[in-house]
Amino acid sequence: MNEQRPKILVVDDDDDFAAALGAYLGHQGYAVVGASSGREGVERARAERPDLVLMDVMMEERTAGFFAIQELRRDPLLADVPVVVVSSIYADVPGFRITPEADWLRHDAFLAKPVDFDELAACVRRLLAEHRAAAVPAAETP
Amino acid sequence: MAESRTDERVVVIDDDNAMRLSCRQILGRMGLAVETYSDGAQGLAGVAREKPGLVVVDLKMPGLSGLEVLCRIHEIDPSIVVVVITGYATIDTAIEAMKAGAYDFLPKPFAPDQLRVIVSRALERRRLAAESRRLEVEREMLKRRFVSFVSHQLKSPLAAIHQYLDLIDRLGDAPEVAAKRRDWIRRSLARSVEMRRLIDDWLTLARIEGDSLVGCRDSIDIAPLLARIVDGERERAALVDVTLTSTAGEGPLPVPGDASCLHVLFENLIDNAVKYNRPGGRVDVAAALENGEVVVEVRDSGEGIPAEALPLLFQEFFRARREPGGARGNGLGLAICRRIATELGGTIGAESTVGEGSLFRVRLPAATDDAVAAPVASAEEAR
Repeated sequence: MNEQRPKILVVDDDDDFAAALGAYLGHQGYAVVGASSGREGVERARAERPDLVLMDVMMEERTAGFFAIQELRRDPLLADVPVVVVSSIYADVPGFRITPEADWLRHDAFLAKPVDFDELAACVRRLLAEHRAAAVPAAETP
Repeated sequence: MAESRTDERVVVIDDDNAMRLSCRQILGRMGLAVETYSDGAQGLAGVAREKPGLVVVDLKMPGLSGLEVLCRIHEIDPSIVVVVITGYATIDTAIEAMKAGAYDFLPKPFAPDQLRVIVSRALERRRLAAESRRLEVEREMLKRRFVSFVSHQLKSPLAAIHQYLDLIDRLGDAPEVAAKRRDWIRRSLARSVEMRRLIDDWLTLARIEGDSLVGCRDSIDIAPLLARIVDGERERAALVDVTLTSTAGEGPLPVPGDASCLHVLFENLIDNAVKYNRPGGRVDVAAALENGEVVVEVRDSGEGIPAEALPLLFQEFFRARREPGGARGNGLGLAICRRIATELGGTIGAESTVGEGSLFRVRLPAATDDAVAAPVASAEEAR
Protein backbone atom coordinates (compact mmCIF):
# COMPACT_ATOMS: atom_id res chain seq x y z
CA MET A 1 0.00 0.00 0.00
CA ASN A 2 1.40 3.34 -0.99
CA GLU A 3 1.38 5.73 1.90
CA GLN A 4 1.18 9.03 0.03
CA ARG A 5 -0.45 8.66 -3.39
CA PRO A 6 -2.53 5.57 -3.94
CA LYS A 7 -1.90 4.07 -7.35
CA ILE A 8 -4.83 3.33 -9.66
CA LEU A 9 -4.63 1.14 -12.74
CA VAL A 10 -7.11 2.07 -15.49
CA VAL A 11 -7.67 -0.78 -17.97
CA ASP A 12 -9.66 0.33 -21.01
CA ASP A 13 -9.14 -0.10 -24.74
CA ASP A 14 -10.62 3.32 -25.42
CA ASP A 15 -7.61 5.65 -25.14
CA ASP A 16 -9.75 8.76 -24.78
CA PHE A 17 -11.94 7.32 -22.05
CA ALA A 18 -8.85 6.15 -20.17
CA ALA A 19 -7.16 9.52 -20.66
CA ALA A 20 -10.17 11.41 -19.31
CA LEU A 21 -10.48 9.15 -16.27
CA GLY A 22 -6.74 9.37 -15.73
CA ALA A 23 -6.82 13.17 -15.89
CA TYR A 24 -9.62 13.32 -13.35
CA LEU A 25 -8.02 10.85 -10.95
CA GLY A 26 -4.67 12.60 -11.35
CA HIS A 27 -6.36 15.85 -10.43
CA GLN A 28 -7.78 14.11 -7.36
CA GLY A 29 -4.23 13.32 -6.28
CA TYR A 30 -3.90 9.70 -7.34
CA ALA A 31 -1.04 8.18 -9.27
CA VAL A 32 -2.52 6.71 -12.43
CA VAL A 33 -1.21 3.97 -14.70
CA GLY A 34 -3.01 2.65 -17.75
CA ALA A 35 -3.37 -0.47 -19.85
CA SER A 36 -5.31 -0.89 -23.06
CA SER A 37 -6.13 -4.60 -23.06
CA GLY A 38 -7.02 -7.29 -20.54
CA ARG A 39 -3.69 -9.00 -20.96
CA GLU A 40 -1.73 -5.78 -20.61
CA GLY A 41 -3.87 -4.95 -17.59
CA VAL A 42 -2.82 -8.13 -15.80
CA GLU A 43 0.83 -7.55 -16.72
CA ARG A 44 0.78 -3.97 -15.49
CA ALA A 45 -1.03 -4.98 -12.32
CA ARG A 46 1.76 -7.47 -11.60
CA ALA A 47 4.47 -4.92 -12.33
CA GLU A 48 2.87 -1.87 -10.70
CA ARG A 49 1.01 -3.44 -7.76
CA PRO A 50 -1.80 -0.85 -7.88
CA ASP A 51 -3.99 -0.10 -4.90
CA LEU A 52 -7.11 -0.26 -7.04
CA VAL A 53 -8.04 -1.37 -10.55
CA LEU A 54 -10.68 0.18 -12.83
CA MET A 55 -11.50 -2.47 -15.43
CA ASP A 56 -13.53 -2.28 -18.58
CA VAL A 57 -14.93 -5.70 -19.50
CA MET A 58 -15.78 -5.35 -23.17
CA MET A 59 -12.49 -4.80 -24.87
CA GLU A 60 -11.05 -5.76 -28.22
CA GLU A 61 -10.84 -9.41 -27.39
CA ARG A 62 -14.55 -9.38 -26.57
CA THR A 63 -15.05 -10.03 -22.85
CA ALA A 64 -11.33 -9.76 -22.13
CA GLY A 65 -12.01 -7.90 -18.89
CA PHE A 66 -13.71 -10.95 -17.37
CA PHE A 67 -10.61 -13.03 -17.96
CA ALA A 68 -8.40 -10.29 -16.62
CA ILE A 69 -10.40 -10.06 -13.39
CA GLN A 70 -10.32 -13.84 -12.94
CA GLU A 71 -6.59 -13.74 -13.56
CA LEU A 72 -6.07 -11.01 -10.95
CA ARG A 73 -8.09 -12.97 -8.41
CA ARG A 74 -5.94 -16.03 -8.94
CA ASP A 75 -2.74 -14.09 -8.23
CA PRO A 76 -2.05 -14.21 -4.48
CA LEU A 77 -0.40 -10.78 -4.59
CA LEU A 78 -3.34 -9.18 -6.37
CA ALA A 79 -6.32 -11.22 -5.22
CA ASP A 80 -7.37 -8.62 -2.67
CA VAL A 81 -6.86 -5.48 -4.74
CA PRO A 82 -10.22 -3.74 -5.12
CA VAL A 83 -11.52 -4.04 -8.68
CA VAL A 84 -14.17 -1.69 -10.06
CA VAL A 85 -15.88 -2.82 -13.24
CA VAL A 86 -16.40 0.21 -15.49
CA SER A 87 -18.59 -0.72 -18.40
CA SER A 88 -21.63 -0.06 -20.50
CA ILE A 89 -22.33 -3.79 -20.58
CA TYR A 90 -25.65 -3.54 -18.70
CA ALA A 91 -27.07 -1.35 -21.41
CA ASP A 92 -25.42 -3.31 -24.23
CA VAL A 93 -26.65 -6.71 -23.13
CA PRO A 94 -30.22 -6.31 -21.89
CA GLY A 95 -31.06 -8.41 -18.87
CA PHE A 96 -27.45 -9.12 -18.06
CA ARG A 97 -26.47 -8.54 -14.45
CA ILE A 98 -23.45 -9.55 -12.46
CA THR A 99 -23.49 -9.50 -8.71
CA PRO A 100 -20.28 -8.14 -7.25
CA GLU A 101 -19.88 -11.21 -5.08
CA ALA A 102 -20.34 -13.69 -7.93
CA ASP A 103 -17.23 -15.75 -7.51
CA TRP A 104 -16.64 -16.13 -11.22
CA LEU A 105 -16.23 -12.40 -11.41
CA ARG A 106 -15.57 -11.11 -7.94
CA HIS A 107 -15.40 -7.35 -8.09
CA ASP A 108 -15.96 -4.62 -5.55
CA ALA A 109 -18.10 -2.15 -7.41
CA PHE A 110 -19.70 -1.45 -10.76
CA LEU A 111 -19.75 1.90 -12.50
CA ALA A 112 -21.68 2.49 -15.70
CA LYS A 113 -20.15 4.35 -18.63
CA PRO A 114 -20.11 7.27 -18.96
CA VAL A 115 -18.84 7.58 -15.41
CA ASP A 116 -20.16 10.16 -13.00
CA PHE A 117 -16.94 11.65 -11.62
CA ASP A 118 -18.44 12.27 -8.16
CA GLU A 119 -19.55 8.67 -8.01
CA LEU A 120 -16.12 7.54 -9.18
CA ALA A 121 -14.34 9.65 -6.57
CA ALA A 122 -16.60 8.41 -3.77
CA CYS A 123 -16.26 4.80 -4.89
CA VAL A 124 -12.47 4.97 -5.10
CA ARG A 125 -12.20 6.69 -1.72
CA ARG A 126 -14.46 4.15 -0.06
CA LEU A 127 -12.75 1.09 -1.51
CA LEU A 128 -9.27 2.37 -0.74
CA ALA A 129 -10.30 3.09 2.85
CA GLU A 130 -11.91 -0.33 3.23
CA HIS A 131 -8.92 -2.03 1.71
CA ARG A 132 -6.54 -0.16 3.96
CA ALA A 133 -8.60 -1.09 7.01
CA ALA A 134 -8.66 -4.74 5.96
CA ALA A 135 -4.91 -4.75 5.42
CA VAL A 136 -4.31 -3.75 9.05
CA PRO A 137 -4.66 -6.96 11.05
CA ALA A 138 -7.84 -6.65 13.07
CA ALA A 139 -7.53 -7.32 16.79
CA GLU A 140 -10.71 -9.35 16.88
CA THR A 141 -13.16 -10.49 14.26
CA PRO A 142 -16.59 -11.40 15.56
CA MET B 1 -5.61 -24.69 -7.82
CA ALA B 2 -6.42 -28.25 -6.81
CA GLU B 3 -6.71 -27.68 -3.08
CA SER B 4 -9.45 -25.74 -1.36
CA ARG B 5 -8.81 -22.05 -1.35
CA THR B 6 -8.81 -20.44 2.03
CA ASP B 7 -10.89 -17.54 0.75
CA GLU B 8 -13.83 -19.89 0.16
CA ARG B 9 -16.46 -19.07 2.76
CA VAL B 10 -19.03 -21.42 4.18
CA VAL B 11 -21.97 -20.55 6.39
CA VAL B 12 -23.56 -23.22 8.60
CA ILE B 13 -27.08 -22.60 9.94
CA ASP B 14 -28.25 -25.12 12.54
CA ASP B 15 -30.06 -24.78 15.85
CA ASP B 16 -28.08 -27.71 17.28
CA ASN B 17 -24.95 -26.43 19.00
CA ALA B 18 -23.05 -29.74 18.72
CA MET B 19 -23.77 -29.86 15.00
CA ARG B 20 -22.48 -26.32 14.54
CA LEU B 21 -19.29 -27.14 16.41
CA SER B 22 -18.53 -30.32 14.48
CA CYS B 23 -19.32 -28.67 11.11
CA ARG B 24 -17.01 -25.81 11.99
CA GLN B 25 -14.27 -28.25 12.90
CA ILE B 26 -14.60 -30.50 9.83
CA LEU B 27 -14.96 -27.67 7.32
CA GLY B 28 -12.28 -25.59 9.02
CA ARG B 29 -9.83 -28.43 8.51
CA MET B 30 -10.67 -28.37 4.80
CA GLY B 31 -9.23 -24.87 4.69
CA LEU B 32 -12.62 -23.16 4.50
CA ALA B 33 -13.59 -20.05 6.42
CA VAL B 34 -16.64 -21.09 8.45
CA GLU B 35 -19.27 -18.95 10.13
CA THR B 36 -22.07 -20.60 12.09
CA TYR B 37 -25.51 -19.31 13.06
CA SER B 38 -28.13 -20.84 15.30
CA ASP B 39 -31.29 -19.72 13.49
CA GLY B 40 -32.57 -18.80 10.05
CA ALA B 41 -32.91 -15.05 10.51
CA GLN B 42 -29.39 -14.63 11.87
CA GLY B 43 -28.16 -17.06 9.24
CA LEU B 44 -29.62 -15.01 6.40
CA ALA B 45 -28.08 -11.84 7.79
CA GLY B 46 -24.80 -13.73 7.95
CA VAL B 47 -25.15 -14.93 4.36
CA ALA B 48 -25.80 -11.39 3.15
CA ARG B 49 -22.74 -10.19 5.06
CA GLU B 50 -20.30 -13.05 4.45
CA LYS B 51 -21.23 -13.74 0.83
CA PRO B 52 -20.31 -17.39 1.13
CA GLY B 53 -19.93 -19.80 -1.76
CA LEU B 54 -21.70 -22.52 0.19
CA VAL B 55 -24.36 -22.69 2.89
CA VAL B 56 -25.11 -25.77 4.97
CA VAL B 57 -28.55 -25.41 6.51
CA ASP B 58 -30.62 -27.61 8.79
CA LEU B 59 -34.11 -28.05 7.43
CA LYS B 60 -35.81 -28.40 10.77
CA MET B 61 -35.29 -25.36 12.94
CA PRO B 62 -37.51 -23.24 15.15
CA GLY B 63 -38.46 -19.95 13.54
CA LEU B 64 -37.66 -19.65 9.86
CA SER B 65 -37.68 -23.10 8.27
CA GLY B 66 -34.68 -24.38 6.36
CA LEU B 67 -36.73 -24.42 3.17
CA GLU B 68 -37.58 -20.76 3.57
CA VAL B 69 -33.97 -19.96 4.34
CA LEU B 70 -32.96 -21.82 1.18
CA CYS B 71 -35.24 -19.72 -1.00
CA ARG B 72 -34.15 -16.49 0.63
CA ILE B 73 -30.48 -17.39 0.15
CA HIS B 74 -31.06 -17.72 -3.56
CA GLU B 75 -32.78 -14.37 -3.55
CA ILE B 76 -29.57 -12.93 -2.12
CA ASP B 77 -27.41 -14.72 -4.71
CA PRO B 78 -28.61 -17.56 -6.91
CA SER B 79 -25.07 -18.80 -7.36
CA ILE B 80 -24.67 -19.78 -3.70
CA VAL B 81 -24.67 -23.57 -3.39
CA VAL B 82 -26.88 -24.85 -0.58
CA VAL B 83 -26.61 -28.23 1.13
CA VAL B 84 -29.43 -29.16 3.51
CA ILE B 85 -29.13 -31.30 6.61
CA THR B 86 -32.12 -33.40 7.49
CA GLY B 87 -33.21 -36.18 9.82
CA TYR B 88 -34.37 -39.49 8.33
CA ALA B 89 -37.94 -38.63 9.18
CA THR B 90 -37.87 -35.63 6.88
CA ILE B 91 -36.51 -37.14 3.67
CA ASP B 92 -39.62 -35.86 1.88
CA THR B 93 -38.73 -32.35 2.94
CA ALA B 94 -35.20 -32.97 1.73
CA ILE B 95 -36.52 -33.83 -1.70
CA GLU B 96 -38.69 -30.76 -1.60
CA ALA B 97 -35.56 -28.78 -0.78
CA MET B 98 -33.74 -30.27 -3.74
CA LYS B 99 -36.64 -29.23 -5.94
CA ALA B 100 -36.37 -25.74 -4.45
CA GLY B 101 -32.77 -25.55 -5.58
CA ALA B 102 -30.69 -27.24 -2.87
CA TYR B 103 -27.63 -28.93 -4.32
CA ASP B 104 -27.67 -32.00 -2.09
CA PHE B 105 -28.77 -33.18 1.31
CA LEU B 106 -27.08 -34.83 4.24
CA PRO B 107 -29.16 -37.22 6.37
CA LYS B 108 -28.55 -36.96 10.10
CA PRO B 109 -26.46 -38.37 11.65
CA PHE B 110 -23.59 -38.19 9.20
CA ALA B 111 -19.90 -39.06 9.29
CA PRO B 112 -17.31 -36.27 8.82
CA ASP B 113 -16.30 -37.87 5.50
CA GLN B 114 -19.85 -37.57 4.17
CA LEU B 115 -19.87 -33.86 4.91
CA ARG B 116 -16.42 -33.44 3.38
CA VAL B 117 -17.37 -35.24 0.16
CA ILE B 118 -20.61 -33.34 -0.31
CA VAL B 119 -19.03 -30.00 0.46
CA SER B 120 -16.09 -30.43 -1.90
CA ARG B 121 -18.42 -31.68 -4.61
CA ALA B 122 -20.69 -28.70 -4.08
CA LEU B 123 -17.81 -26.25 -4.24
CA GLU B 124 -16.48 -27.93 -7.36
CA ARG B 125 -19.88 -27.60 -8.96
CA ARG B 126 -19.92 -23.95 -8.06
CA ARG B 127 -16.59 -23.47 -9.81
CA LEU B 128 -17.89 -25.27 -12.89
CA ALA B 129 -21.07 -23.23 -12.83
CA ALA B 130 -18.97 -20.09 -12.69
CA GLU B 131 -17.05 -21.20 -15.76
CA SER B 132 -20.16 -22.13 -17.70
CA ARG B 133 -21.80 -18.87 -16.76
CA ARG B 134 -18.86 -17.00 -18.23
CA LEU B 135 -19.23 -18.99 -21.46
CA GLU B 136 -22.96 -18.29 -21.42
CA VAL B 137 -22.25 -14.59 -21.30
CA GLU B 138 -19.87 -14.92 -24.24
CA ARG B 139 -22.47 -16.84 -26.21
CA GLU B 140 -25.11 -14.29 -25.42
CA MET B 141 -22.76 -11.56 -26.58
CA LEU B 142 -22.24 -13.34 -29.87
CA LYS B 143 -25.93 -13.86 -30.35
CA ARG B 144 -26.67 -10.22 -29.84
CA ARG B 145 -23.47 -9.43 -31.65
CA PHE B 146 -24.71 -7.05 -34.22
CA VAL B 147 -26.92 -4.85 -32.12
CA SER B 148 -24.73 -4.91 -29.06
CA PHE B 149 -21.55 -4.25 -30.97
CA VAL B 150 -23.06 -1.33 -32.80
CA SER B 151 -24.41 0.08 -29.59
CA HIS B 152 -21.10 -0.56 -27.86
CA GLN B 153 -19.24 1.16 -30.64
CA LEU B 154 -21.58 4.11 -30.50
CA LYS B 155 -21.37 4.32 -26.76
CA SER B 156 -17.60 4.19 -26.56
CA PRO B 157 -17.03 7.48 -28.38
CA LEU B 158 -20.07 8.97 -26.66
CA ALA B 159 -18.64 8.03 -23.26
CA ALA B 160 -15.25 9.49 -24.18
CA ILE B 161 -16.82 12.76 -25.34
CA HIS B 162 -18.97 12.93 -22.22
CA GLN B 163 -15.94 12.33 -20.01
CA TYR B 164 -13.88 15.04 -21.73
CA LEU B 165 -16.71 17.59 -21.56
CA ASP B 166 -17.31 16.80 -17.92
CA LEU B 167 -13.59 17.27 -17.22
CA ILE B 168 -13.55 20.62 -18.97
CA ASP B 169 -16.69 21.64 -17.10
CA ARG B 170 -15.37 20.64 -13.69
CA LEU B 171 -11.69 21.36 -13.87
CA GLY B 172 -11.79 24.21 -16.34
CA ASP B 173 -10.00 26.66 -14.08
CA ALA B 174 -7.27 24.38 -12.81
CA PRO B 175 -3.88 25.45 -14.17
CA GLU B 176 -2.81 21.98 -15.29
CA VAL B 177 -6.02 21.71 -17.30
CA ALA B 178 -5.53 24.78 -19.49
CA ALA B 179 -2.76 23.09 -21.46
CA LYS B 180 -4.83 20.00 -22.10
CA ARG B 181 -8.19 21.55 -22.80
CA ARG B 182 -7.50 22.05 -26.50
CA ASP B 183 -6.42 18.44 -26.87
CA TRP B 184 -9.55 17.20 -25.11
CA ILE B 185 -11.77 19.28 -27.38
CA ARG B 186 -9.91 18.13 -30.48
CA ARG B 187 -10.21 14.49 -29.46
CA SER B 188 -13.91 14.91 -28.64
CA LEU B 189 -14.49 16.26 -32.13
CA ALA B 190 -12.64 13.33 -33.68
CA ARG B 191 -14.78 10.93 -31.69
CA SER B 192 -17.99 12.62 -32.78
CA VAL B 193 -16.87 12.16 -36.40
CA GLU B 194 -16.32 8.49 -35.60
CA MET B 195 -19.89 8.25 -34.31
CA ARG B 196 -21.34 9.92 -37.34
CA ARG B 197 -19.46 7.57 -39.65
CA LEU B 198 -20.67 4.53 -37.78
CA ILE B 199 -24.26 5.71 -37.97
CA ASP B 200 -23.86 6.39 -41.71
CA ASP B 201 -22.35 2.95 -42.29
CA TRP B 202 -24.97 1.28 -40.18
CA LEU B 203 -27.73 2.95 -42.17
CA THR B 204 -26.05 1.94 -45.42
CA LEU B 205 -25.94 -1.68 -44.26
CA ALA B 206 -29.57 -1.54 -43.20
CA ARG B 207 -30.52 -0.09 -46.55
CA ILE B 208 -28.75 -2.87 -48.43
CA GLU B 209 -30.29 -5.49 -46.16
CA GLY B 210 -33.71 -4.02 -46.65
CA ASP B 211 -33.66 -5.03 -50.34
CA SER B 212 -34.28 -1.46 -51.34
CA LEU B 213 -31.69 -1.92 -54.06
CA VAL B 214 -33.36 -4.70 -55.90
CA GLY B 215 -36.08 -2.51 -57.25
CA CYS B 216 -33.87 0.17 -58.70
CA ARG B 217 -31.36 -1.37 -61.03
CA ASP B 218 -30.38 1.15 -63.58
CA SER B 219 -27.51 0.58 -65.94
CA ILE B 220 -24.61 2.46 -64.43
CA ASP B 221 -21.41 3.15 -66.30
CA ILE B 222 -18.65 2.44 -63.79
CA ALA B 223 -15.93 4.27 -65.73
CA PRO B 224 -17.01 7.88 -65.04
CA LEU B 225 -18.11 6.85 -61.54
CA LEU B 226 -14.60 5.62 -60.75
CA ALA B 227 -13.08 8.72 -62.30
CA ARG B 228 -15.23 10.91 -60.04
CA ILE B 229 -14.23 8.97 -56.92
CA VAL B 230 -10.54 9.03 -57.86
CA ASP B 231 -10.67 12.78 -58.47
CA GLY B 232 -12.33 13.28 -55.12
CA GLU B 233 -9.77 11.18 -53.27
CA ARG B 234 -6.67 12.46 -55.03
CA GLU B 235 -6.29 15.52 -52.83
CA ARG B 236 -6.63 13.52 -49.65
CA ALA B 237 -4.09 11.01 -50.96
CA ALA B 238 -1.62 13.80 -51.69
CA LEU B 239 -1.95 15.00 -48.10
CA VAL B 240 -0.58 11.68 -46.86
CA ASP B 241 1.95 11.51 -49.72
CA VAL B 242 0.22 8.72 -51.64
CA THR B 243 -0.02 8.79 -55.44
CA LEU B 244 -3.43 7.78 -56.76
CA THR B 245 -3.76 6.73 -60.38
CA SER B 246 -6.56 5.23 -62.40
CA THR B 247 -6.45 3.16 -65.58
CA ALA B 248 -10.17 2.66 -65.62
CA GLY B 249 -10.28 4.04 -69.14
CA GLU B 250 -13.16 5.53 -71.05
CA GLY B 251 -15.65 2.73 -70.71
CA PRO B 252 -18.40 2.14 -71.07
CA LEU B 253 -18.39 -0.42 -68.23
CA PRO B 254 -22.12 -0.85 -67.63
CA VAL B 255 -23.30 -2.55 -64.45
CA PRO B 256 -26.91 -3.00 -63.41
CA GLY B 257 -27.09 -1.42 -59.98
CA ASP B 258 -27.74 1.59 -57.84
CA ALA B 259 -25.42 4.53 -58.42
CA SER B 260 -25.11 5.55 -54.77
CA CYS B 261 -24.34 1.99 -53.64
CA LEU B 262 -21.73 1.49 -56.33
CA HIS B 263 -20.25 4.80 -55.23
CA VAL B 264 -20.10 3.61 -51.60
CA LEU B 265 -18.52 0.30 -52.65
CA PHE B 266 -15.66 1.78 -54.66
CA GLU B 267 -15.15 4.80 -52.47
CA ASN B 268 -14.70 2.52 -49.45
CA LEU B 269 -12.12 0.43 -51.28
CA ILE B 270 -10.15 3.39 -52.62
CA ASP B 271 -10.40 5.22 -49.31
CA ASN B 272 -9.01 2.16 -47.48
CA ALA B 273 -6.19 1.83 -50.01
CA VAL B 274 -5.16 5.43 -49.33
CA LYS B 275 -5.62 5.16 -45.57
CA TYR B 276 -3.73 1.91 -45.02
CA ASN B 277 -0.78 2.99 -47.11
CA ARG B 278 2.64 4.47 -46.41
CA PRO B 279 4.19 7.84 -47.26
CA GLY B 280 5.49 7.68 -50.81
CA GLY B 281 3.11 4.82 -51.57
CA ARG B 282 0.78 4.27 -54.52
CA VAL B 283 -2.82 3.33 -55.17
CA ASP B 284 -3.75 2.06 -58.64
CA VAL B 285 -7.33 1.65 -59.73
CA ALA B 286 -8.01 -0.47 -62.80
CA ALA B 287 -11.26 -1.55 -64.43
CA ALA B 288 -12.07 -3.61 -67.49
CA LEU B 289 -14.76 -5.67 -69.14
CA GLU B 290 -13.84 -9.37 -69.05
CA ASN B 291 -16.08 -12.23 -70.25
CA GLY B 292 -19.32 -10.49 -69.45
CA GLU B 293 -18.07 -9.16 -66.12
CA VAL B 294 -16.88 -5.75 -65.07
CA VAL B 295 -13.72 -6.28 -63.02
CA VAL B 296 -12.44 -3.48 -60.82
CA GLU B 297 -9.09 -3.77 -59.07
CA VAL B 298 -7.76 -1.49 -56.35
CA ARG B 299 -4.10 -2.12 -55.61
CA ASP B 300 -2.20 -0.44 -52.78
CA SER B 301 1.40 -0.44 -51.59
CA GLY B 302 0.51 -0.52 -47.89
CA GLU B 303 1.69 -2.81 -45.14
CA GLY B 304 -0.46 -5.69 -46.38
CA ILE B 305 -2.81 -8.01 -44.51
CA PRO B 306 -1.62 -11.20 -42.75
CA ALA B 307 -2.81 -14.39 -44.46
CA GLU B 308 -4.76 -15.51 -41.40
CA ALA B 309 -6.79 -12.29 -41.42
CA LEU B 310 -7.81 -12.52 -45.09
CA PRO B 311 -10.74 -14.93 -44.65
CA LEU B 312 -12.22 -12.69 -41.95
CA LEU B 313 -11.68 -9.44 -43.75
CA PHE B 314 -15.23 -8.94 -45.01
CA GLN B 315 -16.91 -9.90 -41.75
CA GLU B 316 -18.76 -7.28 -39.80
CA PHE B 317 -16.67 -5.67 -37.08
CA PHE B 318 -13.50 -7.46 -38.04
CA ARG B 319 -10.55 -5.10 -37.96
CA ALA B 320 -7.28 -6.45 -39.29
CA ARG B 321 -5.40 -3.22 -39.02
CA ARG B 322 -5.17 -0.10 -36.99
CA GLU B 323 -5.37 3.08 -38.93
CA PRO B 324 -2.16 5.07 -38.91
CA GLY B 325 -2.38 7.69 -36.19
CA GLY B 326 -4.21 5.39 -33.82
CA ALA B 327 -7.69 6.12 -35.16
CA ARG B 328 -9.80 3.05 -35.62
CA GLY B 329 -12.08 1.91 -38.37
CA ASN B 330 -15.45 0.66 -37.22
CA GLY B 331 -15.11 -2.70 -38.95
CA LEU B 332 -18.13 -2.15 -41.17
CA GLY B 333 -16.55 -0.70 -44.32
CA LEU B 334 -15.53 -3.93 -46.03
CA ALA B 335 -18.66 -5.71 -44.78
CA ILE B 336 -20.65 -3.06 -46.60
CA CYS B 337 -18.57 -3.58 -49.75
CA ARG B 338 -19.24 -7.29 -49.69
CA ARG B 339 -22.96 -6.83 -49.14
CA ILE B 340 -23.22 -4.44 -52.05
CA ALA B 341 -21.18 -6.66 -54.37
CA THR B 342 -23.21 -9.73 -53.41
CA GLU B 343 -26.49 -7.89 -53.70
CA LEU B 344 -25.58 -6.91 -57.25
CA GLY B 345 -24.80 -10.51 -58.14
CA GLY B 346 -21.05 -10.06 -57.96
CA THR B 347 -18.10 -11.02 -55.75
CA ILE B 348 -15.33 -9.28 -53.87
CA GLY B 349 -11.97 -10.72 -52.88
CA ALA B 350 -8.58 -9.71 -51.58
CA GLU B 351 -5.02 -10.81 -52.06
CA SER B 352 -2.18 -9.49 -49.98
CA THR B 353 1.49 -9.80 -49.26
CA VAL B 354 2.65 -8.44 -45.93
CA GLY B 355 5.13 -5.66 -46.50
CA GLU B 356 4.18 -5.19 -50.15
CA GLY B 357 0.52 -4.31 -50.27
CA SER B 358 -2.97 -5.58 -51.04
CA LEU B 359 -5.20 -6.03 -54.05
CA PHE B 360 -8.99 -5.85 -53.80
CA ARG B 361 -10.91 -7.17 -56.77
CA VAL B 362 -14.63 -6.69 -57.43
CA ARG B 363 -16.41 -8.63 -60.17
CA LEU B 364 -19.88 -7.53 -61.17
CA PRO B 365 -22.04 -8.94 -63.95
CA ALA B 366 -21.95 -6.50 -66.84
CA ALA B 367 -25.26 -5.05 -67.94
CA THR B 368 -26.57 -6.13 -71.29
CA ASP B 369 -29.40 -4.17 -72.90
CA ASP B 370 -31.91 -6.84 -71.84
CA ALA B 371 -30.59 -7.13 -68.29
CA VAL B 372 -30.91 -3.42 -67.82
CA ALA B 373 -34.43 -3.24 -69.12
CA ALA B 374 -35.84 -6.30 -67.39
CA PRO B 375 -35.35 -5.44 -63.68
CA VAL B 376 -36.67 -1.94 -64.20
CA ALA B 377 -39.76 -3.31 -65.90
CA SER B 378 -40.38 -5.89 -63.20
CA ALA B 379 -39.88 -3.27 -60.56
CA GLU B 380 -42.56 -1.20 -62.22
CA GLU B 381 -44.88 -4.17 -62.25
CA ALA B 382 -44.21 -4.86 -58.59
CA ARG B 383 -45.50 -1.44 -57.65
